[in-house]
Amino acid sequence: MANMTRRNFLSICAAAGSLALVACGGSGTGSDTTTSSSSAEASAAALTTVVAGKLTCIANMYFPPFESMDESTGEPQGFDIDLGKALAEHLKLECNWLPSQQFDTLVPTIKAGGTADISITGMTINDARKQEIDFSDPYIDSNQALVLKKGSTETEASLNDASKKVAVQAGTTGEERVRENLPNATCVPLDEVISCMTSVSTGNNDALVIDLPVAANLISNSFGDLEVAQEIATGEQYGIAVSKENPELLAAINAALAEMESDGTMDELEVKWFGTKL
Amino acid sequence: MHFAHTNVRGRAFVALVLSCLGLIAVLAATPAQALTTNKATARPNQEGGNGVVGGIDTRLTWEGTVGDDEQIEAITLELPQGSSFAGSTTRVTVLDGLTRIPIEGQASDTDERLVVNFDNPVPAGSLLRLEVEGMRFAEAGGDCAVTGTYTASGSQHELDSSDSITVIEGTWLQRAVAVLDANPAVEAWNSNQFLGMFFKPQLILTSLFSLFPGWLVCLVIVICAYPFAITLGLIFALMKISNNVVLRAIAVVYINLLRGTPLFLQIYIMFFGLPMLGINIDNNILGVAVMAINSSAYLAEIFRAGIESIPQGQYEAAASLGMGRLQTMFNIILPQTIRRVIPTVTSDFITSYKDTSLLSSVGVMELMMFAKNATSVSGNITPYVTAAIFYLIVTLPLIKVVGIIEKRMARSERGSGPRPKLTQPTVTTEDAEQVEGAQSVLPNDSTDAGVLMAQAVRAAVGGDING
Repeated sequence: MANMTRRNFLSICAAAGSLALVACGGSGTGSDTTTSSSSAEASAAALTTVVAGKLTCIANMYFPPFESMDESTGEPQGFDIDLGKALAEHLKLECNWLPSQQFDTLVPTIKAGGTADISITGMTINDARKQEIDFSDPYIDSNQALVLKKGSTETEASLNDASKKVAVQAGTTGEERVRENLPNATCVPLDEVISCMTSVSTGNNDALVIDLPVAANLISNSFGDLEVAQEIATGEQYGIAVSKENPELLAAINAALAEMESDGTMDELEVKWFGTKL
Repeated sequence: MHFAHTNVRGRAFVALVLSCLGLIAVLAATPAQALTTNKATARPNQEGGNGVVGGIDTRLTWEGTVGDDEQIEAITLELPQGSSFAGSTTRVTVLDGLTRIPIEGQASDTDERLVVNFDNPVPAGSLLRLEVEGMRFAEAGGDCAVTGTYTASGSQHELDSSDSITVIEGTWLQRAVAVLDANPAVEAWNSNQFLGMFFKPQLILTSLFSLFPGWLVCLVIVICAYPFAITLGLIFALMKISNNVVLRAIAVVYINLLRGTPLFLQIYIMFFGLPMLGINIDNNILGVAVMAINSSAYLAEIFRAGIESIPQGQYEAAASLGMGRLQTMFNIILPQTIRRVIPTVTSDFITSYKDTSLLSSVGVMELMMFAKNATSVSGNITPYVTAAIFYLIVTLPLIKVVGIIEKRMARSERGSGPRPKLTQPTVTTEDAEQVEGAQSVLPNDSTDAGVLMAQAVRAAVGGDING
């Protein structure tokens, strides 16, 4: 479906572009940008947001490389942050990132409304969350990882034992996975990935299940004593959380996402944050 | 006879040939076993537990691997009698290694059977996962294995049965929730955004049960921690008022460090720092230790202020009776101090009890942790409100007790307590004995000074109550 939209959009863009070219004769340069911006403007005009003229975004900021805070300035940074900025640009809104909030409170926050318009926070699209909020089209695929201390010989099977403690970030699909697949182990939900990693590093917990890109990033940057022992293929997809009360914004975001897929913005962001196109 | 014998041998031969053929057929059919079941699991949906309960919604996850040279066009999952796929939604995930292959499926469900037709055939070697949200197992419970069939190259094959999922029988709690679900008044209540988000009756009911173990952990932690906190607090209070410079310095550093840093930080240091030093202690015991140490600093200040509020005259009087310093402290000063600090110590107890919530951030399974879990699963704030109820069950009576004690103390400090009747102007020997027994051997200062002193204690200690 996403592909269809993208293709449609491409053809529309192409048609509009050629029309513009025909209309303007040879006046040429930048005609494409004018057409695409006018279409985005048309959609932005109808958008209602929490703060007029602004796209207010919220996330849990301890999920690198998707979102984190710059060590020295405290500015939010990451794939999702840049995605939010690019989205706002496409929607002709000013992007505003709110301070970090606990991951498990984000769905209730978006549902309650009044605080933030959208949450881009590496959130996997699933049906339980879908009952509370709407998701945009998926913008990236992800998997889970079983993180162990280097040299540990634990496996998913051996961890399913009453003597084992497995850390997870509260409210994540990793937590769901552990509760469902390792029912005998003690599932220890913590607030942030960093605490989870630290707790495995210190030996407080035996293992951690968390999104693979985040595990890989943290291990290569700060937790050299841990390793991804098993890549758990879940093929989950991240989506942007939007209130069910704001279908116009959802539609505009989906259109903007399609636009960004086709104009190379997404590839650019992926290269910037993951080193390769995904 | 002979003929019959050959016949038997002939039959045996035929049987042998047939069985060989059958074996070949089986061997040939093995590659046709194009879809191997990896596992089937269900999301735990038991309140306050990890079990899968029958009769209420859950999510079934079935996972299989497609054989090397086959493609799957459709799959049917079957569950034992009484289970239901009705009204469920199915999510199809097809993966090649870690990469997603965009294949969607059309699901149609009858009660015990779910048929999924794929828009493109699921390619060879890929991982197929079906997540069926909103299905339910038979209310009677039991072991449920997922069976079914699949269609590969136009022909249908049996699916190997999964390991069975243990399903618990539905409880009265589940039935009560079902009654609430069906009640139109409850539905109207929940349709209000605020009421539904904070006071959803179904969740209040279920979380009362699911949070209960966490509440016990909270109580046990603070009740275990408090005797240690009082002992430590008293030791450091005595150290702080001692004449020895070294003891005083140790006490000042200890008290100021602990009172000057957030409890949250102390918890982090203890929980992440100690294991790094190679000290591995059980989380709950560590929780008790952190609460005891933190509280001891506040209690030390409360005790010190209490001891210093005892008028100088008491020391002088004790000295005049020939009591030593220790004797004075333990027989005269401390008994009076304890009476004076009971309200502030109780307030500190309330604070400590509430502060156990901070332990949730490091994975101690206490009340707040259970509430957080329930909230993250339901996406609803109600479990937090239930947690508030659990905290209030303890704190409200204690606050009331503090109020009563303070009122009584203020009355006796003011000297407006029970008085001897005016008709008995002379003090009998019996009375004198009673007074002696009550340990008020020593003449107290004037009542005015007593009130002033009580105010001083409260002023000195007041900051600690809210700290």
